[in-house]
Amino acid sequence: MPATTPCRCATPNSAQDQKENIFLPREATIIRLEKTTEMERIFTLRLADGSQMKFEPGQILEVGLMGYGEIPLGLASSPTRTNTFDIVVRSVGRVSQAINTLGKGDTLLIRGPWGHGFPLENLRGHDLLIIAGGIGLCPTRSLIQYTLDRRQEFKRFILFYGARDPQQQLFTSDLADWRKSKDVDYHETVDKSDPTWKGNVGVITTLFSKTKIDPGTRVVICGPPIMFKFVIRELDKLGIPHENVFVDLERRMKCGVGKCGHCQMNDKYVCTDGPVFAFSEIERLEEAI
Amino acid sequence: MSSHFITGTDFTAFLAGLIKEKKVVGPVAKTSRQQEKFVFAQLERAEDLRLDHDVTILPPKKEFFPTQQDLVRFDGPRREGCVAPEEKVLFGVHFYDVKALDMTDLLFKERNDDRNYTARREAATVVIANVQKVSPRAFWATVGREVQPQGHDAWLTRVTGGYVLEARTPKGEALLKYGKFSAATPAHSESARQANAEPKCPEHLNGDSVTNARKVRAAFAKEDLWKKLAEDCFSCGSCNTVCPTCYCFDVQDWWNVDQKSGARTRYWDACLTEDFAKISLGAGATENFRESRGERFRHRFMRKAAYLNEKLGGPACVGCGRCSAACTADIADPTAVINNIPEA
Repeated sequence: MPATTPCRCATPNSAQDQKENIFLPREATIIRLEKTTEMERIFTLRLADGSQMKFEPGQILEVGLMGYGEIPLGLASSPTRTNTFDIVVRSVGRVSQAINTLGKGDTLLIRGPWGHGFPLENLRGHDLLIIAGGIGLCPTRSLIQYTLDRRQEFKRFILFYGARDPQQQLFTSDLADWRKSKDVDYHETVDKSDPTWKGNVGVITTLFSKTKIDPGTRVVICGPPIMFKFVIRELDKLGIPHENVFVDLERRMKCGVGKCGHCQMNDKYVCTDGPVFAFSEIERLEEAI
Repeated sequence: MSSHFITGTDFTAFLAGLIKEKKVVGPVAKTSRQQEKFVFAQLERAEDLRLDHDVTILPPKKEFFPTQQDLVRFDGPRREGCVAPEEKVLFGVHFYDVKALDMTDLLFKERNDDRNYTARREAATVVIANVQKVSPRAFWATVGREVQPQGHDAWLTRVTGGYVLEARTPKGEALLKYGKFSAATPAHSESARQANAEPKCPEHLNGDSVTNARKVRAAFAKEDLWKKLAEDCFSCGSCNTVCPTCYCFDVQDWWNVDQKSGARTRYWDACLTEDFAKISLGAGATENFRESRGERFRHRFMRKAAYLNEKLGGPACVGCGRCSAACTADIADPTAVINNIPEA
């Protein structure tokens, strides 16, 4: 390193310590970029060293740029698809705004994947209902794609998606596919309509009247904190046991490796114990939902 | 394990020899507001070591988990990790602080081994010194009694005419060559045993760890209780900062003036501060998962008395009393809070 960089290390790193440093990020190249709403962009990435990224649907990455920082993001594509992976970045702060200035061919730095994703073993062989609200569609898209790619492993596949208004809908080309698809029973709603919208208007729980849901269905929920309570109330009415309900939670996962404490809810670290939890596991936790 | 004796005069020469060869960190005096306080600092001279200290302002965790620590440095597209093991002797640590180090050792290592901490820790030799003077807020005699200090290499005890040094690991044995030690006699060992059994703490935590964990956890839903306890909280995080078992941190990137190089650095953080669990949702909206002072105050007590007990074998509190002394409003004292929570 040049002399301008202050070196606070007493002794240089050993190669082994470099390798084992859980804070040292890897490079990922931006293969494709798509502006999906005014605030969000979809990044398709590939590891710069050409290797395949190994992950499970629902796991998180710490994504960042040196000099700016890192943000936790759910992987938004399925590991069943090629050797690329998607993330969605919403411009809200210093890091996400810096990331959203990047273009195709630029490099992003990633750490992970971290945490526990969706319990595929538990979901397979059953009806599956995914309920995604707002930006909650991003991490659940990894499971949606996975389910569509391995359709025969699941029974009925139902998907509810709610957005604030039609302009806020993410992955619009996916939505167009899902509307037509016979592989998924897709229902969508917006909280607030506009003249272009012909579909359902209302909160996401209004979609429960649109289709029949069996009590044996496995359910995955991801959305704004307020959404969970209302959705679970509906699931209770349907008699779906809480051990079959899986929630994907958002917290301030600063380090991603279960150390920094920011994402803690009661005694759980969302980044390492989650971000996906069985609802039965966390309903006794006062700070969870 | 072997037991050795060294006279007072020879001890000073031993320490001087050790300082010449190695980096030695120990408690030294620091005058603050006309009061004599103590800090862990690198020893320049053997005479600076204050084995009669009551408690240090900051716990020795800072030697392995510094208040600010570079994790990754960068220069343009080049990056370099900053895992930096540094050989040193941490000399004169009270046993309760070693109990706390045992906890941070486990917590930094479990699941994803954080070499930024553990490599430093492994490179250190830790010498416990018996408590000669007890701090006014200490209650270590009544907290987590079922947990004994593990992560040390030698235990030094002041006895009449000198010191008894029990070497407990090969690293501890390796210290012997720096001084004129003789084999400790049974009388020396008995004096050492008595010296370690002697001190009494001014404050007391009632009940055992299991009962306290249960009653603190059971009190979670008592919103009014926590609200009242935290009424005078400034959300300053001093209780976290001085705690030997707190290890939360923030990570921030910064640039050098060349605007080309810089580092990703972690800084001690505190769960009592207002923004600790706050996230941005976009469009100016935020969500704070522990918004009120009561919720944050409660989280600290849950962490210290209940959440980690199963993993650590006892509470994540060692009774050093630093939080009690550091709290501006004097509301952080674990004995005052826990003793007053009724049994579940």
